Amino acid sequence: MEIKKIENEALKEAYYSVKHPSGLQIYVMPKENYSSAFAVFGTNYGSIDTGFKRSDENDFATIPEGTAHFLEHKLFESEELDAFERYAKTGASANAYTSFDQTCYLFSCSANFKENLEILIDFVQHPYFTQETVEKEQGIIGQEIRMYQDVPNWQVMFNLLRAMYSNHPVRIDIAGTIESIAEINADMLYRCYNTFYNLNNMALAVAGNVTVDEVIEVADRMLKKAENVTIERIDHKEPKEVAMDYIEEKLAVATPQFMLGFKETNKEPVVSLKQRLETAVMLDIIAGRTSALYNDMFKKGLINSEFGTEYFNGNGYAAILFSGETNHYKEVAELIKKEIKKFKAEGIKEEEFELVRRKTYGRSIMAFNDVDTLANSLVASHFLKSGLFDDIEILGRMTVEDVNNRLKNTLDENYSSLSVILPQDK
Amino acid sequence: MADIKEISKAVRLVSVPTDRFKTSKISICFALPLKEETVASNALLPYLLHHSCAKYPSMELINNHLAMLYGASIGASVLKAGESQIMRLSISAIDDRFSLDNESISAKCAQLLCDLIFEPNFENGTFSNADIEQEKRLMIERIDSEMDDKRAYALRKCEELMCADEPYGLSKYGTKEQVKKLTADDVFKAWQRMLKTAKIQINVIGNADLKKIEESFADNLKKIGREEPAVLSTKFIGKADKIKEKTEQMEIKQGKLVMGLRVDIKDAMEKYAELSVMNDVFGGGPYSRLFANVREKMSLCYYCSSRLVRQKGVIFIQSGIETENKEKAVKAILEQFEIMKKGEFSKEDFEASKKAIVDALNSYGDMPEDIDVWYTGQIIYDEIFSTKKAVEMINKVTVDEVTKAAQLVTLDTIFMLEGTGDSEEGE
Repeated sequence: MEIKKIENEALKEAYYSVKHPSGLQIYVMPKENYSSAFAVFGTNYGSIDTGFKRSDENDFATIPEGTAHFLEHKLFESEELDAFERYAKTGASANAYTSFDQTCYLFSCSANFKENLEILIDFVQHPYFTQETVEKEQGIIGQEIRMYQDVPNWQVMFNLLRAMYSNHPVRIDIAGTIESIAEINADMLYRCYNTFYNLNNMALAVAGNVTVDEVIEVADRMLKKAENVTIERIDHKEPKEVAMDYIEEKLAVATPQFMLGFKETNKEPVVSLKQRLETAVMLDIIAGRTSALYNDMFKKGLINSEFGTEYFNGNGYAAILFSGETNHYKEVAELIKKEIKKFKAEGIKEEEFELVRRKTYGRSIMAFNDVDTLANSLVASHFLKSGLFDDIEILGRMTVEDVNNRLKNTLDENYSSLSVILPQDK
Repeated sequence: MADIKEISKAVRLVSVPTDRFKTSKISICFALPLKEETVASNALLPYLLHHSCAKYPSMELINNHLAMLYGASIGASVLKAGESQIMRLSISAIDDRFSLDNESISAKCAQLLCDLIFEPNFENGTFSNADIEQEKRLMIERIDSEMDDKRAYALRKCEELMCADEPYGLSKYGTKEQVKKLTADDVFKAWQRMLKTAKIQINVIGNADLKKIEESFADNLKKIGREEPAVLSTKFIGKADKIKEKTEQMEIKQGKLVMGLRVDIKDAMEKYAELSVMNDVFGGGPYSRLFANVREKMSLCYYCSSRLVRQKGVIFIQSGIETENKEKAVKAILEQFEIMKKGEFSKEDFEASKKAIVDALNSYGDMPEDIDVWYTGQIIYDEIFSTKKAVEMINKVTVDEVTKAAQLVTLDTIFMLEGTGDSEEGE
């Protein structure tokens, strides 16, 4: 077993990276004087993994939309006590979530840590699905899907993804549709489980009131060596162009909501941390709270504090998003595009860059308060092949030239789409 | 774990000194009675004040200053605590030890907070019309966006219906009509009223320079000239005369059911532990009656939960369901409540609930935001209640006490937001 301690002198923080013989990558971040601990057990499997090929099979398999999320719900069940019933005896607060590229199971507790970790590792490794329990879940998830259909900022985003992407499954809803989940059966769940819940495709992270020895002791007891199966994912052959440059939907909202997306085509399917950070800094300079764009639009009454930006990216997709709520969405979209052109022509200035870098430095430090953020970040950065302290180091080395170069290669309005949610009476 | 100090009349400083966080957080809350005539002008204040001040007369200048303070962030909000209206401003920044040039970030943050509150961006001695008009626009958009969150909207409508004759039924922001009518003069008067008569609490969490913070606030409050503090009280109604029912239709997919219940208590601390455990067994975590039955057994919904508002002695049950399943859901929820009243819930669920509440209480100290929220909610009370004390009380609760607590609860209002949004889909 290989145990590495990874430290950051300035932050006075450290975590342990453990390559467990079972194949599982484990991270432990003890936090001094904390009472609680937070654990996340995640697999690199999310809503976009609708097609895959195992290294021990010849053909690609396709599965219904929403299967990863469905599996997340069902994994809590067991032939005996389900996971919630087991946690009920320890007092931990447990939950799970499915994103585009991950499924994570988590708990937080301030007592009985080892017992809780045992429950987590155990139930995630012991699937139990029957046709009856699958059918029961279709009603519950059906209501979850229906709930999101009424949430305007969720709809504005998924409509935008459908407008930007023609083939890549990032365009489908994480929970799937009422129709697609009706196709799911117990066999299908077992097949996906056996492929993606291989310990080599997973990571476990714990932060807070814990020691590395406690975690290893439980892991040694609970984990068996997994066979080394690798997973090949379908190349969706997503074109560079957007599918539609405009999409709208009418919902019961008071004010229209918009999301403007700029689709990117990158050489590598997963963008580097360096690129992600440069993009974040660039967006903050162009449209953040200190930018002329934000403050001018705010003063003119075109936007409110809901306005924001995001670099949205994962395996095989990347896009820059601007969003907000406003009656003047067309004008706002034009002003954003105009400002991008201006920045591209004039370049970002040294002082603009330094101010935002200073802010970003502070915000990266703040992230080290919360054990839940830390444990989740450890798992997420593992799947992205970066470390927890890399942000601060990359930020320290970043120059205004890096950000200007980044600006040259992105935010091309020929590859943009606008998604709008309008009130029903308009 | 908190140090509590009265720094001036009805001004309390609550500090939690610790170096386990990377940040320092300072928040200041002003509590005033929740009243129809003043709710809208009061609500505008924290948002208005955090957008500019005499020293930084525009939002852009404030945001630049915050970026220079390593991305310090300020927040403004309005809350309801019983029938009091709480205006809140807060600032959070990295701890002084991470400063790259040895400056005291926390002292500067405290100074900024004082500048924002006590030295506003006045024009001829009052707020400028332009600033007031901008805040009115933002407030109207804030009220509008409440409707976009259907779950929050349905809850709001249920509160409004249930407490139509009580201040609690008011929106914490006031109505759009009230906001539209506000003048710079109204808001100036509200500002003076708040500084002179509100009950004030300042929370400081982290390594901040407490002495400096205390001095800054004390000096400014002295200059203002504090008057007799406003009396804060909440009316507790033990039981409804009759059950109110209302439905509203909206073009949405999923219907939202909200049920409002009354708890027969006289103040927020009465039967604190018994009611907390009772509410949790009934509709708290995944072991609760509502989750286990209405969601898991009946597959009626994705969420069905119960929230106890002890500062007003009410409980709200919320669920997202198919509109046609309303009667079925109401019946199932009431059946589950009967089980609570008869004490027929399992001993396991009861123990699970106590453990979960205690576990969560013991985790509160690990997040500056949680600590801040815990103490903020207590601004209206004379005594500060610690999580440690809460744990002791929860641990002592018995099944019998929980059953008796359930018997104090009766149904008051059923509100249903019906979805009529399916026809369009053509599915």
